Amino acid sequence: MDHFQEKKIPIIKIGSYLIVSIQVDMHDKLALQLQSQILEEIEKTGAKGVLIDISVLEMVDSFIGRMLSGMASMASIMDAAVVIVGMQPAVAITLVELGLEMPGVDTALNMERGMELLERRMASINDD
Amino acid sequence: MEDKLDLKNVKQRINHIEEVLSSVAAGDLDVRVDSTVEDDLTGIEEAINILIEDLTYELKQSINMQNDLQEKLKKIQDQQKTIVQQQEDLMELSSPVSKVWDNILILPVIGTLDSQRTQIMMENLLQKIVDTGCTMAILDITGVPTVDTQVANHLLKTVTSARLLGADCIISGISPAIAQTIVHLGIDLSIIRTKATLQDAMIYAMKQNKKSDALITSNLDEIEEREE
Repeated sequence: MDHFQEKKIPIIKIGSYLIVSIQVDMHDKLALQLQSQILEEIEKTGAKGVLIDISVLEMVDSFIGRMLSGMASMASIMDAAVVIVGMQPAVAITLVELGLEMPGVDTALNMERGMELLERRMASINDD
Repeated sequence: MEDKLDLKNVKQRINHIEEVLSSVAAGDLDVRVDSTVEDDLTGIEEAINILIEDLTYELKQSINMQNDLQEKLKKIQDQQKTIVQQQEDLMELSSPVSKVWDNILILPVIGTLDSQRTQIMMENLLQKIVDTGCTMAILDITGVPTVDTQVANHLLKTVTSARLLGADCIISGISPAIAQTIVHLGIDLSIIRTKATLQDAMIYAMKQNKKSDALITSNLDEIEEREE
């Protein structure tokens, strides 16, 4: 247990966004831990958007896929938009073949685009 | 009339017949039973000769047939090689992805789609999206003659994977025949944005580009105003 706690994935807050860059291979326990960690951080900081960078992940299994889409819906009911950025083509194909099309999850090619997407999202909310 | 069976000769003649039969069995078909006298054994000797003739004829026939078959097999193998070669050529030619404008990729699809081809097409497109950083991809299927459930499924998969990467996919050039088949098959393409022609798709993509640019600039202006 302690072993996993040591290997926390850092969550960085910039402005009203949280940035999570996953740079290790995910295992189920780490994924679940990350999920609660992010949700706690959203509550603590009142962040309006979360960017999750998975560009280093070469393999995403159904569990991680479900965790990611679950997290997006959890965050959205806490009034924070989740954007998954930098998914690799092979990962995208795998997820689609697994039937995990992640409806309702926003995606972007890279961190920059993800940031733009969130800005746009904020702008349209402000307009309303 | 027939001569009387000469018992002295009989043993010799039977030996001769035996020799002939054993050499035929060994594969020599040119030997025949020689008979000089005509008597009760002559019938048997002649029958054996006829049998050997027949055997020779059948053997020749079967050798010819075998040769024929071998030739045909070779021809078929050659044809198969050509087919494989052509398939590989087609595979290489089949899926060019080109960047035509800022942020816009076009993938023209020509010819029948099968699962292998779509797989390669999908991989090419996704890789290109990542390499160029384009967020708009237009799949033009004007050159696709027919769409069945499998192909429609592949198209859906391609669009969904592109969306997972963060790119929008537009399908253009759906012919009346394809539209009819898709609706008759009960495939729901409503989650995919479809446009009538490549031109319409281009216009839509460029508008979308402009929109996102405008939003970002207005947003930035707003932030600047607030700061002031």
